[in-house]
Amino acid sequence: MEKITERILTASALISAFITVLIFAFLLIFGLPLLQGGQWFGLLAQPWSPREGLYGIRPMLLGTVYISLLGMAFALPLSFGCSALISVFAPRRFGGFLRKVVQLMTGVPTVVYGFVGIFLLVPMVREIFQGGSGMCVLTASLMLAVLISPTLILFFVDGFDRVPRSYLNAVAALGGNEAQQFIFVILPNAWKSVLSGIVLAFGRAMGDTLIALMIAGNAVQVPGSVLESARTLTAHIALVIASDYDSPEFKSIFACGLTLYLFSTMMVVLIRSIGAIFGRKEK
Amino acid sequence: MSRWMERTMIVFCWICGLVLLAAIATIFGYLLYQGLGTVNLRLIFGNISAVDALLLRKHVFAGLFPAMVGTLAVVTLSVGFAIPVGIASGVYMAEYARGGVKWVLGFCFDILAGVPSIVIGLFGFALAIFLHRHFSAGIYPSLFISSLSLAVLVLPYIIRSTQFALENLPAETRLIAVALGATKLQNIVYVLIPKSLSGIFSGVILAIGRCAEDTAVILLTGAVAFAGVPKSLFVQYEALPFYIYYISSQYANQQELSSGYGASIILLLICALLFFVASMTQKGVTYQALYRA
Amino acid sequence: MNDPVKIKIEHLFFSYRDRFVLRDANLRIAENTITAIIGPSGIGKSTFLMTLNRLWETIPGAKLQGRIEIKFQGQFQEIHDRNYPPTTLRRSVGMVFQTPNPLPMNIFGNVSFPLKLAGFRQKSKMADRVEQALKRAYLWDEVKDRLNEDALLLSGGQQQRLCIARALILEPEILLLDEPTSSLDPKAGAVIEELLVNLKNSCTLLIVSHYQDQVQRVADIVFELAEGKFVPMPVWK
Repeated sequence: MEKITERILTASALISAFITVLIFAFLLIFGLPLLQGGQWFGLLAQPWSPREGLYGIRPMLLGTVYISLLGMAFALPLSFGCSALISVFAPRRFGGFLRKVVQLMTGVPTVVYGFVGIFLLVPMVREIFQGGSGMCVLTASLMLAVLISPTLILFFVDGFDRVPRSYLNAVAALGGNEAQQFIFVILPNAWKSVLSGIVLAFGRAMGDTLIALMIAGNAVQVPGSVLESARTLTAHIALVIASDYDSPEFKSIFACGLTLYLFSTMMVVLIRSIGAIFGRKEK
Repeated sequence: MSRWMERTMIVFCWICGLVLLAAIATIFGYLLYQGLGTVNLRLIFGNISAVDALLLRKHVFAGLFPAMVGTLAVVTLSVGFAIPVGIASGVYMAEYARGGVKWVLGFCFDILAGVPSIVIGLFGFALAIFLHRHFSAGIYPSLFISSLSLAVLVLPYIIRSTQFALENLPAETRLIAVALGATKLQNIVYVLIPKSLSGIFSGVILAIGRCAEDTAVILLTGAVAFAGVPKSLFVQYEALPFYIYYISSQYANQQELSSGYGASIILLLICALLFFVASMTQKGVTYQALYRA
Repeated sequence: MNDPVKIKIEHLFFSYRDRFVLRDANLRIAENTITAIIGPSGIGKSTFLMTLNRLWETIPGAKLQGRIEIKFQGQFQEIHDRNYPPTTLRRSVGMVFQTPNPLPMNIFGNVSFPLKLAGFRQKSKMADRVEQALKRAYLWDEVKDRLNEDALLLSGGQQQRLCIARALILEPEILLLDEPTSSLDPKAGAVIEELLVNLKNSCTLLIVSHYQDQVQRVADIVFELAEGKFVPMPVWK
């Protein structure tokens, strides 16, 4: 009885892990024709121009990078400030309230953010910048920032809260105020959480589909400015899925998929090594 | 660090907090303003009476009912697939796996948790094609494929929350039954799992919420705008998040647009409720939020 | 004083994470006695107890070397013998922990739990065994009318007696007690001390305690754990 159960449990775990590999395998197999002959890098570098037979995903790659980076640029300071507020500077009750709000925000479906983004944010951007459709990199990044900030904030707050009380008391007893406690004690001790949070959020930003799909405009071009439309790897997959199975356009989405898969794997490796470095420092 | 700089920093933090609150208040406020008026039985059931619709006597064409049923169906199926495999794997990781094996498996699960949902949808799509070619021509992107894909999406959450709950039991709790002569399995079944139930449960609730709100996966694996209430596993179906996405670009008139707002409110309520339930049953909400990748 | 020996410990070395608890320790425990192990806090008395029911194997990085033999039904058994499963050992060597740890079940469920683990099926006999165990633990009168109640509703002292009953239901020949009264008030502690003395006839008890007066009241033989070895101490009766 014991042995059988152990075998079943082991099998479950192995199957689950196998799925991870299976996903990669499927992406590879389906994208194979387009990837053969070292076309991989060519694919990443080429523009998308079906008429010329070019199915490079470069514009989408850059679209992903720009929107994610800009989104992070908005989200990081905002999250940092909010988390410091919750953890250190705000009075107990307000801090608790803000934390609850942030927790609730993580439960909001992405599609709802996208929906509100289209009808509220896009016209606003259009108005402010007088021109363009409003569906551009900027708008998408703003909404993306709202999407990933809660996760970032909670991560940071968790890291800040883990710093032992005794360190803070020590600084307080020496006459340090809250700001000084934050700078000299909390930050140096929580840097690992902060870094992991950033990596995690960046992964989420790059992997998001709906906000970019609904708000960024989806033009297949390398955006020249933040007010121009762009398409991300994720949106590209969603848009092209309706194409004919055997067309090269179709296979390009597997190239996008592979790129995204490899990116997210890299993020995982990064987080693990941050954890590992921290572990070694402890000893 | 001068007083001036400290002051500025504190002011900056307060501004951030207020900006965040303003942002979410605006979003919620706008949504409620535009959509609260439409949330009524009409929105859900169209012109059909609720009773007829619920008993499936008549088709609902102009209401959210089919989409809600579709979402319910896909969530139930995917969680149904994911729970047994997820809990079993979590138990294995916490109680049996050691050293190199544990490291490798953990790494795989981390990767799986980080894979963007659209890529998982793509996998599901590819899986459908594969099964279609090699298995049965009757397999298309459908409720079945969507549920499998969503199960893959939420599997890491269930595994991790089960593992986390078990690993964080106090050391002495692990010894009680063992000291009384229990075997490893008896200990797990009679003591460890019952004591971890709240953690496991909130992982499940989180998974349910994730399945309910996901759009990217179902977009690629069988969700469509018009399909009625799903009659079998192997057909296309409607879903609430997909409806919202569809309406956002395909709305024909103000009424349809309003229904989009209404649907958003309903979906928001469902997810908020699930998240609330999860936070009630587990103290480490932050951890849960983090794994809601 | 020529009681037969129940437990023989010879040349025992025990360490975990490179911390030595026992260095070439030797000890003989007599049958049907209460033997007390005393010593400073943190020296490893509780850990030593765990060597006797092989719970030490759950401690990460633990290493053990030496002989531990326990006399079961007239014959000495090396408890680490490959053919002797730890689960069987633990049914004959019961353990009571410092803080009462009832499981989230009712009183009957808690006390009968070891029977369930051992595969005991006869429901009728179960009730008798539970009653007997609760009587030996001086708890029967207080709970006989509420066996269905949640065990966590009992007071601290009652919970500890519940744990003792739970440990006794399989009728172990040895009972290990790790500071059994340290989390209780003196009155509750006194009840337990009394029941322990009464258990001597049917059981061999090994108790870890840091209360000198308790040791003097209760124990027949006292050893101090110092520098990894057991040193006999006088008992003033």
